[in-house]
Amino acid sequence: MGLLSILRKLKSTPDQEVRILLLGLDNGGKTTLLKQLASEDISHITPTQGFNIKSVQSQGFKLNVWDIGGQRKIRPYWRNYFENTDVLIYVIDSADRKRFEETGQELAELLDEEKLSGVPLLIFANKQDLLTAAPASEIAEGLNLHTIRDRVWQIQSCSALTGEGIQEGMNWVCKSVNAKKK
Amino acid sequence: MLGYIWQYFYASFFRYWLKWFIRQVTGKCELQRICSGYKPGATRTTKAEYSLQSSKNKVLRNALQASSDDLEQCVDQIMQEKNVKAQKDPRFKESLQLCLFQITGYKSLYASVEDLRKEVFDSEKLEHETMLLKLWDLLMPTVKLESRVTKQWGDIGFQGDDPKTDFRGMGLLGLINLVFFSENYTDAARQVLFHANHPKLGYSYAIVGINLTEMAYSLLKSGALKPHFYNTILGKPELQHFHQLYCYLAYEFDKFWVAEEPESIMQFNHYREKFHSQVKAQLQDPNVSLTLTVHPKN
Repeated sequence: MGLLSILRKLKSTPDQEVRILLLGLDNGGKTTLLKQLASEDISHITPTQGFNIKSVQSQGFKLNVWDIGGQRKIRPYWRNYFENTDVLIYVIDSADRKRFEETGQELAELLDEEKLSGVPLLIFANKQDLLTAAPASEIAEGLNLHTIRDRVWQIQSCSALTGEGIQEGMNWVCKSVNAKKK
Repeated sequence: MLGYIWQYFYASFFRYWLKWFIRQVTGKCELQRICSGYKPGATRTTKAEYSLQSSKNKVLRNALQASSDDLEQCVDQIMQEKNVKAQKDPRFKESLQLCLFQITGYKSLYASVEDLRKEVFDSEKLEHETMLLKLWDLLMPTVKLESRVTKQWGDIGFQGDDPKTDFRGMGLLGLINLVFFSENYTDAARQVLFHANHPKLGYSYAIVGINLTEMAYSLLKSGALKPHFYNTILGKPELQHFHQLYCYLAYEFDKFWVAEEPESIMQFNHYREKFHSQVKAQLQDPNVSLTLTVHPKN
């Protein structure tokens, strides 16, 4: 096979594009997660005003990841990004127990959104590198995840800082996209 | 490709032959020609920096790493190496020393800035807490903070009830810049805050400030700010000069944002990049000086 035909073959099967929405409260670690996914430096991160977007290649997919700022003031804008979402990733700061209730409420509201109905949900129980972090099982219970019946979901403990657990989570994302498209 | 080849040959051979030839004709070494040919400022210092950096002579190259106390000695050594007679070129010593103060000063400024950035905001430290409360008082002189953790922080543009999580990758540097602006340009800072709290065109004052600290920091780190500091500070740049530059960015970004009338805060990163490119373009001008034109109080 010549080089040209290989190139042509590559061109004929472009990566399938997947739209991923990254949501959660401020200081949850969404931007750090996004930068880890794109293998970028995570030491200079500042609070997200507005949103960040990055495209990452993974397992034959082109993942377009939208990281939307989490502060209360801009949460009303979240809905502008719901359309055509393939997977929702919700990021929780597992060490910020004081805000578990708030994060649970925001998640519950998201799950009620019509435009997100049936969209697979991955919850990252982030910041597991901190000693005070609650385990994923405790968070799953607190959020009543077992009552979710209208979509596939998964909770994955991770540390966006060290990168631990992220690959496992993304594998689940790709798997659920595959299942959905079939 | 041809350009690269030419550059390679130029840097490794022709430059030296050319320098040698001109030296024979004029009787002056390259550094002397730079110091006498240009006014103090970015053009002169940048050329001197390049000349020292690409020198084959270790004494010249090492001068770039010297500490500010040793600079005078370095210049004496360079004059000896290059056989420059003080009687023949009386201003050379002073000029080269100034260049070296600026060049080495820029590096040590980056080191000090990096130290502050790496220092994490810590609620246990009284000094940090005092600074945070001072920021509130400077920006909101008529409103009392009800408690340390309160929704009121949102009024000056922090994200949640406790600002400590917003400093993140910029550490104490972000807070110091915010306080410096409010303290030294109080009216300008309050005016910017007033714009930031506009119901439609508004943005989050404090976290945009922290974001602009990141911009100032990365411009410093990449060396892009050299011409600015070489032009404006005829000596060793200090931390306060970096804070001044932050003030310039905070004030100018606000003007830019208001003039652009963005659709909503969600467009922030787009306009941030546009502003960033504009600043980088300004820094290409050898006469650049990013100085705030409003007068500091007092």
